[in-house]
Amino acid sequence: MMKRLLSVLVIVALTPVANAAEKIPRLSNGKPDFSGIWQTTSAADYDLEPHSARIDAPPGPGVVEGNVIPYLPEALQQKQQNFAARDTDDPRLKCWTLGTPRGIYYPEPFQILQRATDVTVVFQFGQSVRTIFTNGTLHPKVTDNEFYLGDSRGHWEGDTLVVDVTDFNEDTWLDRAGNFHSAKLHVVERWKFLDAHTIEYHATLEDPEVFARPWTLSVILHRHREKNFQLIENYCFTRDFDKYYPVPAKE
Amino acid sequence: MSKRIHSGWALLIAGLAICTVSQAQQAPGGSTIQRETKIIPIEPGRWTGKRLEDGQPDVQGHWSNTIANHNNWTDPQGGVPGDPNPRAIPKTQRSERAPSRVSDPADGEVPFQPWAREKQQEFLKYFHDPIKPEYIEPLARCAPAGVPKSFTWHGFEIRQYPGYVLILFNSGWRIVHLDGRPHLPGNIKLWNADSRGRWEGNTLIVDVTNNNAKARLARTGEFFSDNVHIEERYVFDDGGQRFNYVATITDPTVFTRPWTATIPLRRYTEKDQIDGWNYEVAEANTPDGSLKHERYERMCIENNGPFGQVAIAPSRK
Repeated sequence: MMKRLLSVLVIVALTPVANAAEKIPRLSNGKPDFSGIWQTTSAADYDLEPHSARIDAPPGPGVVEGNVIPYLPEALQQKQQNFAARDTDDPRLKCWTLGTPRGIYYPEPFQILQRATDVTVVFQFGQSVRTIFTNGTLHPKVTDNEFYLGDSRGHWEGDTLVVDVTDFNEDTWLDRAGNFHSAKLHVVERWKFLDAHTIEYHATLEDPEVFARPWTLSVILHRHREKNFQLIENYCFTRDFDKYYPVPAKE
Repeated sequence: MSKRIHSGWALLIAGLAICTVSQAQQAPGGSTIQRETKIIPIEPGRWTGKRLEDGQPDVQGHWSNTIANHNNWTDPQGGVPGDPNPRAIPKTQRSERAPSRVSDPADGEVPFQPWAREKQQEFLKYFHDPIKPEYIEPLARCAPAGVPKSFTWHGFEIRQYPGYVLILFNSGWRIVHLDGRPHLPGNIKLWNADSRGRWEGNTLIVDVTNNNAKARLARTGEFFSDNVHIEERYVFDDGGQRFNYVATITDPTVFTRPWTATIPLRRYTEKDQIDGWNYEVAEANTPDGSLKHERYERMCIENNGPFGQVAIAPSRK
């Protein structure tokens, strides 16, 4: 009896750990499978830094470790100018591709479709599709492609997908509050399941022209589990000219 | 502006520039666009090729149509009628060129109702002199080419996953859902529509609704309404090297009868030259130096190089 009780206790003690490891979805190669439709509930896109409510943003506690983005002095001035002009200058208003990491915490869903060789990120907003290569290839030898989304090469550290992203342009902002970067931006992302329906996402941003030191933001991504939920294309940049193309009709 | 042009766009411009130069010696359309003149029939039937873990026929990779671009729907290698550029007038007889993309009716013509034929002719009449914004093809503004025109635009990539076929076009993407779920509510209209698919042997059958019908089928102005229903059949050959795209297009508001479009396509691999159009990829940086091609991000700011830059949307200025 005692022996049996002991074995039950052992099972109880071990079970949560074993389950946590087993419960996350995995590809047949054993790597975590992030396939699904994801979205943050945070206010990150309104302002990465802590902020009270204002006319164009709900309040938010911020998603930056240490609360403050460590701008270089000149860059801080630029950020302040961007903030003042955010109603007109935010590239999102032109429907330009949001960039990395902004696309991840923008308040519209994105879908991950994953194979052993790559992780494809399809954003509902904009025309952009991002490929995170996990096939062992390196950043291109050509380093001035100036991608909107950067060039993404990923590898696995245990169950964490670590993605090195380089070769950006300077046409994207990091949020609606005018936080920005230069083409020298270098991002390291860490994607990890908290449970089967939740991803913890970290991005460390380094940019010698804009930031005094590397800094890290993190958001939680939730899986869309509504029945038959799907992305609905929002190319957005077509809005300006949609009106010129009524469906031809019999007069 | 130059900062905003990245390689994908630069490639696009390069492709167009090459087209312009090559027209001096070649038939219209440019030497970079493959120009076969025959459609090789592929019969629907069993799939004997490779399969993915979930049982789908493995048709992943890079593909492009084999005959022409979207200049002309019914005479694909005939250029755009009325092109003021004398070099764009085809030097071949119609019988020497690829057949119409209309495979049924047999006469190769879209069975328009009379009023709709007039609308198509009106668009074509003003294509080279767009006196109103509506005569500028939406693709020239980087709008998605839509269904089915995307298959006659640049090469594209197919990626497959359990429950999905993902098609990455030069302009926009399509996610084909294979799980039998219902279509989106009918009042949602989209450039790339809404796709539900299933496999039957060597054929991917996709039911397409929710089309906003804003993308013309070609520069020649063919169109349908947003009531259109398209049933696509992607019929793959055994070796997985070619497929024929066969679409039945039904729209009683515009046509006198359902009709069928056929577009032949072939696979592109590392054995092919990167050409910035049919095969728009880049060499991957592999640790062992082996040859591998990969797709870069595609971003279209404006695609109106050949049209006098008249189509720049207000937000882009």
